[in-house]
Amino acid sequence: MKITREEVRRLAELSNIFLADEEIDYLSGDLEKIVDYISELSELDTVGVEPTYQVTGLENVWQADEVGEHLTREELLALAPAVRDNCVKVPKVL
Amino acid sequence: MGKYVPTIGIECHVQLATKTKLFSRTDNDARQAEPNSKVSEIDFALPGMLPYLNEEAVRLAARAAKALNAKVANVSRFDRKHYFYPDLTKGYQISQMYQPTILAGLVELHGGVKVRINHAHLEEDAGKLTHHDNHSLVDLNRAGTPLIEIVSEPDIHSAADARIFAEELHKLMTFAEVTHGDLYHGNMRFDVNVSISDSDKLGVRTEIKNLNSFRSVEAVVAYEIKRQTEILESGGKVVQETRGWLDDQGVTTSQRSKENAEDYRYMPDPDIPPIVLSKEKIADLQKDFPKMPAQYRQEFKDLKVDSSVLNVILSNQETAEAVSQVLSSSGLEPAKKIANMFAGLSFEGDIKIPETADLVELAKMLSSSEINSNAGDVIFKELLGGTKNARKIATDKNLIQSNDEDEITEIIDQVLRDPAAQQAVDDVKSGNDKAIGFLVGQVMKASKGQANPGIVQKIIRQKIV
Repeated sequence: MKITREEVRRLAELSNIFLADEEIDYLSGDLEKIVDYISELSELDTVGVEPTYQVTGLENVWQADEVGEHLTREELLALAPAVRDNCVKVPKVL
Repeated sequence: MGKYVPTIGIECHVQLATKTKLFSRTDNDARQAEPNSKVSEIDFALPGMLPYLNEEAVRLAARAAKALNAKVANVSRFDRKHYFYPDLTKGYQISQMYQPTILAGLVELHGGVKVRINHAHLEEDAGKLTHHDNHSLVDLNRAGTPLIEIVSEPDIHSAADARIFAEELHKLMTFAEVTHGDLYHGNMRFDVNVSISDSDKLGVRTEIKNLNSFRSVEAVVAYEIKRQTEILESGGKVVQETRGWLDDQGVTTSQRSKENAEDYRYMPDPDIPPIVLSKEKIADLQKDFPKMPAQYRQEFKDLKVDSSVLNVILSNQETAEAVSQVLSSSGLEPAKKIANMFAGLSFEGDIKIPETADLVELAKMLSSSEINSNAGDVIFKELLGGTKNARKIATDKNLIQSNDEDEITEIIDQVLRDPAAQQAVDDVKSGNDKAIGFLVGQVMKASKGQANPGIVQKIIRQKIV
């Protein structure tokens, strides 16, 4: 299956990563091989087979609605690259 | 407008009244909270954190389903909706794309319009951004707050009905105690989709997001119908887009559309096992269900009060229940009196819903003319302020009026003997009926407000006309 440079650019944008031109070249080739390899799976007849949403077999895993212990604001904000007014500071968006 | 029929669909985000967030045991009450003071490692999306579903959110979703006349899914699942924006630390929002917990439902408006509900899904809210000159600041207090998003079918065809639908959703969700319903704090937010068409085929729609009042829902729909009509009538085409509502100017404006169509790459969330609910479990989650607005409307039909009065009583479950209690314990007349008193009151500030017995006593004192309507209002306000015992308030405040005709006649004679009254007496005799008001006033004053004004007037008439 042909993967165009445009499709690679779009994927990079959706993944929020920057790609250099030469990376786009070899990634489109790599992605073609990967998609072809995976597409072998579509030869299987899966009519009536429930998709595997989960592998644990668990259901209804939930907790009671009570406030529990957790890290403090100070501990969490200390992990952020930049902080201002008790907020995480990020490059301007919008 | 004429030939174009508008078609409106509404999506409504409802904040669930839980103590903690949807996937973490962090305090969910972010009102007036310092930035990032209601945030845990899960809300902050530190690597390796494992979200756990809030049991109460599942219970409230099941109850929301019942209020929406919808079935609860036997199996529902969570999916990841991916996008990059700093209000969302994980890089995805946990939502329900394919198997929502709440299935199709129906909301019947009191005007008779039926609005089908497509489904409602559980999801987490995002954080809040504030934008500054060269940076943005992220507050994650709201990140992870549990929401249900109710998605209607496009069954609404006027701005007025859009508002009624939004109000009805608010009633349903608050009566069912699914949400606190505090619009000021964004507990319910509406997205409206509007299109117009002069054929069977739907027109191109615009979407206006994040409206937080019933008034703005109505205004936005009215504005969009007018704007789209003008475009089509001048030969133009409506563009499918998201528009923003500028509340102070009363207009919608085009929001810069993204170059590419959104692509959220939904996938099942492997961290959250499915919700599997048997019929018995669903019944258990929905037990002790309170009365819904439609049931109260049915009960109050025979009160024959004005629709504006009914709206006020039904704007709040406690008020509706108070009137309902008076109705069931003492019948139509007292209930009607109390309903009208609630409607006559402006609902500012913190009020306490009085006990049924006090409301019944108040209605009885009014019916038997033991107190007049002004006194009734005074007592009602005292009761709403938290004072107990209607009769004691009436006695303490000297509000019990005299219906004793002999006693009243004595006061009237006194007033009429006063030369100051002569002019008014002459005026009444010569046909100026208004002058009787002066005499009644004098008698009321002499009785310190305790004479029954109806009786006073009757006796004065007997004496001088």
